[in-house]
Amino acid sequence: MEFPYGKAPFWILVMAIITGLAMMLSRTFTNAGRPDLVFVVFAPRHYEAYLKLIPEFERKHNVKVQLQQVHQRPLQTRLQSALLADTDVPDMVEIMNPFMGAFMKGPLDDVGFVDLTDRVKAEKLDEKMVESRFSIWSSRGRIFALPHDVHPVALAYRRDIVEHLGIDVNKIETWDDFVRIAHEKIVKDVDGDGIIDRYALDLSISGTSFFPIILLQRGGRYFDSQGNLTMDTDITIDTILWYIRQSRGKTRISFPAGEGQPFYKALSDGIILFNFVPDWRSKVFEIDAEDLKGKMALMPLPAWEKGGRRTSTWGGTGLAITEKSKNKELAWELAKFLYLNKKDFSDRFAMLNVIPPLKEAWDLPAFQVEDEYYSGQKIGQIYAELAPETPPDYVGAYYEMVDGKTREVLIDGGVYYEKYGDKGLREFVTEKLKQKAAYVRRVMNRNVFLREGEVEITDANSSKENAG
Amino acid sequence: MNGIHIFLLCLAALFVLLYALQPKRPKIAFTYLRYIVLALIAAMVMAPFFWLLCSAFKDSSVLMKYTFLPPIMNWAKEINLSNFRELFKSQPSMEGNVYFWQYIINSLFLASITTIVQMFFSSMGGYALAKYDFKGKKIIMFFMLASMMIPGVVLLAPVYKLIVNIGLMDTYWALVLPGACSVFGMFLFRQAIVGIPKDLIEAGRIDGCSEFSIYMNLIMPLVRPMTGAFCLVTFLGSWNNFLGPQVYINAQSKLTLPVVLNQYVGVYANQYGVFLAGTLLAIIPPAILFFCLQKEFISGLSSGAVKG
Amino acid sequence: MKDLKYRAYVKRTPYLFLAPYFCLVCIFFIYPLISAFLLSFQQTNGPKSKAFVGLSNYSFVLTDPDFHKAVKNTAIYAVFSIFLQLPISLGLAMLLNTAKDKTKGFFRLIIFSPNLVGQIFVGVIFSVLFVPRYGLFNRFMQSLIYWGLENRWLENPTLVLPAVIITALWMYVGFNMIYFLAGLQSVDKSLVEAARIDGANPWQVFWNVTLPAIKPVATFVVVMSTIGSFQLFELPFSLLKGEFGPSSSGLFIVSYLYQMAFRAGDLGTGAAVGWILTLMIMIISLTQIKMSGTLEEGK
Repeated sequence: MEFPYGKAPFWILVMAIITGLAMMLSRTFTNAGRPDLVFVVFAPRHYEAYLKLIPEFERKHNVKVQLQQVHQRPLQTRLQSALLADTDVPDMVEIMNPFMGAFMKGPLDDVGFVDLTDRVKAEKLDEKMVESRFSIWSSRGRIFALPHDVHPVALAYRRDIVEHLGIDVNKIETWDDFVRIAHEKIVKDVDGDGIIDRYALDLSISGTSFFPIILLQRGGRYFDSQGNLTMDTDITIDTILWYIRQSRGKTRISFPAGEGQPFYKALSDGIILFNFVPDWRSKVFEIDAEDLKGKMALMPLPAWEKGGRRTSTWGGTGLAITEKSKNKELAWELAKFLYLNKKDFSDRFAMLNVIPPLKEAWDLPAFQVEDEYYSGQKIGQIYAELAPETPPDYVGAYYEMVDGKTREVLIDGGVYYEKYGDKGLREFVTEKLKQKAAYVRRVMNRNVFLREGEVEITDANSSKENAG
Repeated sequence: MNGIHIFLLCLAALFVLLYALQPKRPKIAFTYLRYIVLALIAAMVMAPFFWLLCSAFKDSSVLMKYTFLPPIMNWAKEINLSNFRELFKSQPSMEGNVYFWQYIINSLFLASITTIVQMFFSSMGGYALAKYDFKGKKIIMFFMLASMMIPGVVLLAPVYKLIVNIGLMDTYWALVLPGACSVFGMFLFRQAIVGIPKDLIEAGRIDGCSEFSIYMNLIMPLVRPMTGAFCLVTFLGSWNNFLGPQVYINAQSKLTLPVVLNQYVGVYANQYGVFLAGTLLAIIPPAILFFCLQKEFISGLSSGAVKG
Repeated sequence: MKDLKYRAYVKRTPYLFLAPYFCLVCIFFIYPLISAFLLSFQQTNGPKSKAFVGLSNYSFVLTDPDFHKAVKNTAIYAVFSIFLQLPISLGLAMLLNTAKDKTKGFFRLIIFSPNLVGQIFVGVIFSVLFVPRYGLFNRFMQSLIYWGLENRWLENPTLVLPAVIITALWMYVGFNMIYFLAGLQSVDKSLVEAARIDGANPWQVFWNVTLPAIKPVATFVVVMSTIGSFQLFELPFSLLKGEFGPSSSGLFIVSYLYQMAFRAGDLGTGAAVGWILTLMIMIISLTQIKMSGTLEEGK
């Protein structure tokens, strides 16, 4: 007998039945009990590391922990919408800097994460850990996540080529030195075909990632510790101008190498010699540019003035406990178990090159190992020495917007510079930056929940109480 | 001057030659020209597919090195199944190990069940709109037309809230139910059914068939082409749906192909090779379906446009 | 008596057939629609805090330079999809129309095939094809016209929109071609022949015979393309790796909505954008339908 509605619906029906059965079968095999804690991470490496550690915690406390790995963007979206819709959220999440800011849109009670300030103080973690790292996870003086890492930034350079050019990196103390040496010895058309094929630095045209690094090192920032907007200071203007001059026009010293394969090609071809490399990226280099083993080395960032700060920061992960979690104490125990686990620090450093914020960890033997990739340098030591200097980076609710708007000025200014040169550039950039800052202030002022005094009235619950 | 230029010049020269040889019958030359243009465009359309095919089998370290394939002497070294091996590797999750074939099964199940449910409800609605006169029909049709103009994203936030409130989060119900009766589908089926003579239905009634069995046993077998076309459209839509599973599904073992594959090219991951291998596999089911349903699809889709 | 009962039964049937639609549309369309409408006059912060802000969301969106940019980008994209993509689709359809069935089927299959791939896949694939120096597209342009090898399509603000347009062109040209092919079937061949014999050149034949015959299809395709253009989201979203391009050069209206509602967490403003978008789509498509109608009457 023929199926009366055609072959396609028939086969689709068959497929639905078969796959449905297959799914039911595979479900019954993988059916786990209800966990006491659900912990979501976004970094695959963290996921693998925690997967090994968690069984010990489960035995010790006789509980069940479910670990999930979700991509960062979806995790962010899901968390935000879960908080918006008041739905089920995991008990604990790892969040990537600067996305904590998005949760700070209202009064502190509405952040959605547990205020960890008292717990951190009780355990004296604010003293034991690098203090500036709490800035990423704080709002109005309260801490909402435990920092996973420090992420101090150094310059990784092609030691082989730099030595061959007779450059002594110890003599590069300031960015002025760096730019001078770049012009004198590095930026060149090596094969003589009329195209410059050796640059000093990797700087993206849009300023993604790199601009905030330079700004923070210089002492500039988007927000101050109280969450006020500070994007339009003179430091920002100076930094934008510097960035434009080094990345645009004929006298630039940098090349936008991009990311992924094109980037590593540029690195191994010697098109770029110096790179901003925080601790985590030093490992990425080791894996993705394996052929440069022994040809690379690290140095601190040149300072903005002699004796100034020689590092910055890029990225960061923090662990937060959600306000809706029913097992907050247990979650805090797990957080400490994972983040203060001395045994794990050595493994984690060997696996990720990441400097933990807990200062006492830096004395462990694993941090003294000579790294063959970086020409035998003790990179654990180099980064650990930079770590206490890492600048704070206060996040606010509108961090992403501010970063985007500031870099728009950078891009527009770059176009101006290539058209008209230096003349009037400063005025142009200042004007644009003021405009963008005014825009951000307008957006911030629209937010009725951040306006002082009005918060109580607009809270649905309290207004009900007032009425009754 | 390079290969491509020479090739194009040769093609042009051949055209001139044909035209010159048979000036009285320019048709031959123009037919030639037409097929050359079509072939070139077809080649351009196929190029990314060919690139995808090559990239899936290239070792990920040489993804960018060669435009398509490495030279033959490097094949042994640089052509392999490492991307697929990586793809089918077990992924540890707290729900136990998850394998890639599970995502394939999830996607197949979801796409086929969505297709069947949508087809059933939409054709039923389409039949009612085509063959009955009833109070409020005009208003309903107008409302349906207007509702098609409201972009889905407008409703994303409230529907999300709703799904959560009725406890459908992390279930496939959340993906099947909201679109279970598609307005577009109802119009398509109405279009196909409207042309069926009324006598047939009357005859069915006289024979004592129930209204539902008239629809099920008399009408539906007659609109097979539209059923086929609609199958393809719905299956494609559900198979490639990204935002839905992304928003509503939490458990890794319940995810579908677009979401899982997208995980390979996120912020901390740049496994393009694995992504491309997975994409290659993900194209196969809709390609088979399209191949089988080409005729129905084209006549079905276009009938709506030509008459409407 | 029995007849009366039967008639009542038949009368009831259409409602029963439409019952699933009624239920679903009430739960998943009308109810969310109302709440989206209420939401657009509010500011929210999490589930607890809600504040009525009147028309503030609307006035903010309408004066936001980012929204203007999104509208501009969307409009440019729409113009290109109507005046570049559709003519190409029509051209292809005309080239194919007189071919033999088998050849027609073959080319139709190939040119339509990009539609089988989801937008999310296409976006990622093209983000690799647009890589400077190594990407397939850049290499192709270089060997064809010695230009564009180093183009940073997805990083250079002026090139982002062209990149989106090119990607969409690849994807959708075959889709609309199918509609045009169907439309061309209804062109009266004897009329074409008659015009030829009368000495009309191919352009005149196209303008006076073919175009009027395919006008219903053309109107349909133009309206659908416009609506589709205004709802563009997933393709640029995945092409730009979940971002909106440098200086918002890849920001479209729906991306702006998504960014407002789900990234910035401002559901109220997101809802307001949604309503503005709905209004725009309605006005534009009704105008298009009207215009094609008056043209017809004028003839």
